[in-house]
Amino acid sequence: MRFFRAVGLIFLKDFKEEIRRKENIAASFLFAFLSLVLFAFALDPTRVDMRQTGSGLLWLIILFAGSLFMGASFRKETETGTLLALLLCPADRSAIYIGKFLVNLAFLLILEALLLFFAFLFLDFRVAGALPSLALAWFGVTVGYAALGTLFAALVAQTHGGQVIYPILLFPVLVPLLIAAASLTQEAVSRGISLQNQWLRLVLLFDILFLTASTFLFEYAVEE
Amino acid sequence: MTLRRWTVALWALAFVTNAAALGLIFGYAPIERQMGAVQKIFYYHVPSAISGYVLLFLAFLFSILFLWKDEPLYDTLAYSSAEVGWIFITIVLVTGPIWGRSAWGKWWVWEPRLTSALVLWLMYSAYFLLRLFSRNDARTARIAAVVAIIAFFDVPIVHKAISWWGSIVHPVKVTLEPAMRKTFFVSMLAVFALAAAFLATRIGVALAEEAKLQREGGR
Repeated sequence: MRFFRAVGLIFLKDFKEEIRRKENIAASFLFAFLSLVLFAFALDPTRVDMRQTGSGLLWLIILFAGSLFMGASFRKETETGTLLALLLCPADRSAIYIGKFLVNLAFLLILEALLLFFAFLFLDFRVAGALPSLALAWFGVTVGYAALGTLFAALVAQTHGGQVIYPILLFPVLVPLLIAAASLTQEAVSRGISLQNQWLRLVLLFDILFLTASTFLFEYAVEE
Repeated sequence: MTLRRWTVALWALAFVTNAAALGLIFGYAPIERQMGAVQKIFYYHVPSAISGYVLLFLAFLFSILFLWKDEPLYDTLAYSSAEVGWIFITIVLVTGPIWGRSAWGKWWVWEPRLTSALVLWLMYSAYFLLRLFSRNDARTARIAAVVAIIAFFDVPIVHKAISWWGSIVHPVKVTLEPAMRKTFFVSMLAVFALAAAFLATRIGVALAEEAKLQREGGR
């Protein structure tokens, strides 16, 4: 019970802080929107079939914008010197990780919803009927992404040059997730996803494996 | 100075076995009917891949030991084997396309084994970038160990994902003609000896560097 209380408190603290500070949200959301517009210019949506290329494209945007957002989740603590205070608080260290993970997950999901709306508006990326299966697939992928993104953010927060290294370190590990995300999105908009889908299972395996591993490894990553 | 003695012995073994392997590859093993002389890359390509994966597996094991026991020697062993493993994966990624060009007609094919080796190479390149940026203090060692562990767990998933996504070109099972098999056996020994010699040398250099740092810190 204590553990969940700690997770809840950290989640609330970070959620409020992000909303009040605005800078991370503004930067990453605007970056996602900008990327969408730039992709439209680069690819010419009147000639490219968005149902084919759109799924991979949207996930690239989520990956880049998401890393911008998550990369800051521990950096802001080291900058203000509050990481030590967090670590000193009498709660299980994994509660800090889970709390931060949930905040990242929440904002990534909001970002994805907005991105989907603008992709529909600007690129004519239609998902209407496929929304439930798309939501399921994207949620699954985002859990895995946020799990590793939060862990790696903690890893590089105290490192010299962490901002530069963060995406380079994170993206190779996400390769299976990106392939799954692009395939699932494409399948969702064209013919829907069944629960027996092999990609969905792969994503589930990825989520469980890395959420557990990250919760466990986090303690070693932030040891003072 | 046992490590130095080991290093010398391993280099001697590597020299002898590689000379023998090269002699067999070019003087004894028959030329493959379909692929021609290029097929001879196989004798170094496959053992390099095995050595690379084994060394990165060692890096994974030493990383776990380091996090568990908090003993700096394990970190030294972890990044030494990771570095040599990375070099062997690089050899695989260089020799692969040369062979692939004549076997498949293309320099690069987005194929499971090739692509997962590339992703692994990228992961470990980032691992060294991390170490390069943060000047190898105790905290970096822990961070790098966590990265090595995550990367190791990711490899089978990467492979699975890419095999569903890409096409399969690598043969699942290879049956070799007897003369080829003998040659392959010797070249396997040669590359393993080379990998071990590199590893011993790298560990020696790492230990010397640390001793130097300690001396300077003490002054």
